[in-house]
Amino acid sequence: MSLMALREQLNGLVNSMFLEGLLDDQFEQLQMLQDESSPGFIAELITLFCGDSERILAELTKLLDQAVVDYQKVDAFVHQLKGSSSSVGAQHVKLACVQFRQFCEEHNKEGCLRALNVVKHEYYLLRGKFDTMLQLEQRIQAYESKQQI
Amino acid sequence: MEEGEGSNGGVFEGGLEVRVLVVDDSPVERRMVEGLLKKSGAMFQVIAVDSGKRAMEVLGLTDDKAEHPTVDEQSCRKPIPVIIMSSENEPHRISRCRAIGAEDFILKPLQTNDVLRLRSYARPTELSPRTGTKRKMTLELMAENSSSDRRPRLTGLAVS
Repeated sequence: MSLMALREQLNGLVNSMFLEGLLDDQFEQLQMLQDESSPGFIAELITLFCGDSERILAELTKLLDQAVVDYQKVDAFVHQLKGSSSSVGAQHVKLACVQFRQFCEEHNKEGCLRALNVVKHEYYLLRGKFDTMLQLEQRIQAYESKQQI
Repeated sequence: MEEGEGSNGGVFEGGLEVRVLVVDDSPVERRMVEGLLKKSGAMFQVIAVDSGKRAMEVLGLTDDKAEHPTVDEQSCRKPIPVIIMSSENEPHRISRCRAIGAEDFILKPLQTNDVLRLRSYARPTELSPRTGTKRKMTLELMAENSSSDRRPRLTGLAVS
């Protein structure tokens, strides 16, 4: 595939993510921070975000599996995920976290379990698209570094 | 505002370097803030830590005399402006932070214009007796809930 076609594919993907609300304006901040001195910034942040999110989701699953749920701990983790998703522009994940915190406040275990599923669903949906995004970015950068030789 | 000291290379504005200590328990947010700071100016040198406790260690402000501070003692005795960051826009908490000494409050997620604002907090201190060296100032960006103790002990940081 030509460099131009790759770029078109990437732009198309990112635009559709914006349109669907998977990403919000904050993602534009990430795009703006990627430049010649930081060519891999988006990849770096996305990778950090995914690793961190999966760690948090694992912790939440464990915590909600307990007979007696420690809602303070659950809330602290959801708050963290809400923060990081907000920072990278992961809008649907962020909104799912907001809902989740409501159930935490109410000490509603059923609600929390359902909310966790929603967060997971949104996260993995996003993660799939991020994976494609990173693959395209890598291929584009490989092209671009070849051109510089 | 920014007095030059004839520093070597003149890469930074007037030879002024601003060191920013970013305190946040989220690695994503630490990296994001670091990226924003670096993009907004070559003058910003960023140290990022994951807790208030670690921040105190880096500043050499723990009780344990055996800790080796990363920041040199000279600059530690100057007041360090503390700016709080939080995702929650809660007026009561914000005014409480200001009451105990925070310079300012920034709502997360951080954006470029928030970071540009930070430059105004990097105020030069009184005349530095040393010539020919780059003057350094430290600025602290602290996430509101990054230590287990919910109340940031800001008075401990206003050391002159």
